Amino acid sequence: MTIQKTFNYQKEIEQIKTQFNFDFVALALVQSTNQLFELKWTYATGNHSNRFRRIVLRTGKGVAGNVLKTGKPMLVEDMAPSLMKNDLHNYLLIVGEGLKSVGAIPLYKSNRVHGILLVACREGRKLTATQFTQLKQAIGPEFGPFYNKEMFRL
Amino acid sequence: MMRINEFQLTDLLIKMYDNSAEAIFFFDRVGKVIAMNNAAQQILDTEVLKRMAEGDPKAICMTCKGYTNEHELQTCMSCYLSNPTEDLSSFQVYLDTVGKGIIPYTASYQTIDKENGIRAFMLRDLTKQYRTQEMLNQRTMMKSIIKAQEDERKRISRELHDGVAQEILSSLVDIRVLKYMNIDDEVLKKVQQTEGSLMHLLDDIRHLSVELRPATLDDLGLEAAFRTHFKWIEKNYGLIVHFSAELQSKRYEGEIETVVYRVCQEAVFNALKYAGTDDINVRLFEEQGFLELLVKDEGVGFDVNHNQPIGTGLGLYGMKERAELVDGQLETRSLIGEGTSITLKIPLLHSSSEGGPGVENHNRG
Repeated sequence: MTIQKTFNYQKEIEQIKTQFNFDFVALALVQSTNQLFELKWTYATGNHSNRFRRIVLRTGKGVAGNVLKTGKPMLVEDMAPSLMKNDLHNYLLIVGEGLKSVGAIPLYKSNRVHGILLVACREGRKLTATQFTQLKQAIGPEFGPFYNKEMFRL
Repeated sequence: MMRINEFQLTDLLIKMYDNSAEAIFFFDRVGKVIAMNNAAQQILDTEVLKRMAEGDPKAICMTCKGYTNEHELQTCMSCYLSNPTEDLSSFQVYLDTVGKGIIPYTASYQTIDKENGIRAFMLRDLTKQYRTQEMLNQRTMMKSIIKAQEDERKRISRELHDGVAQEILSSLVDIRVLKYMNIDDEVLKKVQQTEGSLMHLLDDIRHLSVELRPATLDDLGLEAAFRTHFKWIEKNYGLIVHFSAELQSKRYEGEIETVVYRVCQEAVFNALKYAGTDDINVRLFEEQGFLELLVKDEGVGFDVNHNQPIGTGLGLYGMKERAELVDGQLETRSLIGEGTSITLKIPLLHSSSEGGPGVENHNRG
């Protein structure tokens, strides 16, 4: 808890961006822990605009929404326009920032998704599955524990 | 009664024969063509004309694609030419014409000279009439489809709001009661999480209900409905809508309000998806007996004449259709790099009856 409070997220995501050579890294964290929690993009680096910061994430909408809903990491190596054709409005971050390969990881706190780390490249297939696995391993506990399937069995 | 002499009548008949747009044929007893007018010659193929000149009674069959009876649209069953005993003062026949293909004609086939067995076959082109009919049908159909859709949305929206949402609310109250009971911290924490989830669910269902059809539109009118909608747009999509309404919460006919709301919703959604801009302007005002809606963005714009849209292309079409339902006009102006503006203009006919008692709930039920 205390680590998380003093943890400099902005510096940390910038470091991830350089380390993996990503074009865009953003972190969404639960805003108010009281009754009605909201998930918003609080930290970002490599962004063109700040419009996405106003968006309140909803479960099941878009890539981050899917991660929030399923609680599992998600990787889309190539964001083809046909994928988003019917619900383009749910992919405003991806379209607005021109992201082509996108990966998102849920960050947990007391068995609930407490945040989402989204990394992306503006080039299709630049973010690969191996890179994504490396990233998952590199995420420190300061971000909030990253649970995978094995941990659920405990 | 007007009286004309025989000479004048002959003159008129000849003029009619020469200049009429109707095709006129004269057949003799055996089915040979004795004469036909200009209009008739124009629709026939040269080969058919040649065969007719040679006196082939079957020549007409090369052009005729059958007539309409009770059983079939195009049939040769008991052909009108060979079976002239029936009443053939008006029937429909299909002809293969030069340049226009197979098109329907209204025909009459009558004996005009019993002694010599001369019969006149007259044809009137029906395509124009059919097209008008079709357009009328399409409009009525579109109107009822849109109405059915709105009604159905209204029903589901109310069901969600009054039924499902209420049930969830009562579960929420139960959970809140649980918090004040004697339970240990671990359980309390879980209960609080569940409460949060339920509140989210309730929120989602309310959004869904409003998205389907806003109750505010029926209860409070356009201005209130728009304000709620734009607040929601900003929260969900990060797009800021600068809304200025100059209507003083005036109410309009239910159909007009629905059209304005839906057109605006679509226009804003288009801007959101394709304009690539952070904020848009929406203005709603009344001017010279017209209710006007202006949706303007300074985004990327598009080529209005380009016929291959990025999306389905149905959005703009649907907006136009909806506008036409209330005799409104929709104008789309856009230039690449200079943004897009959409104007909707609806004539207000019954301006005197507005705002009176009983108008508030006109859209309910």
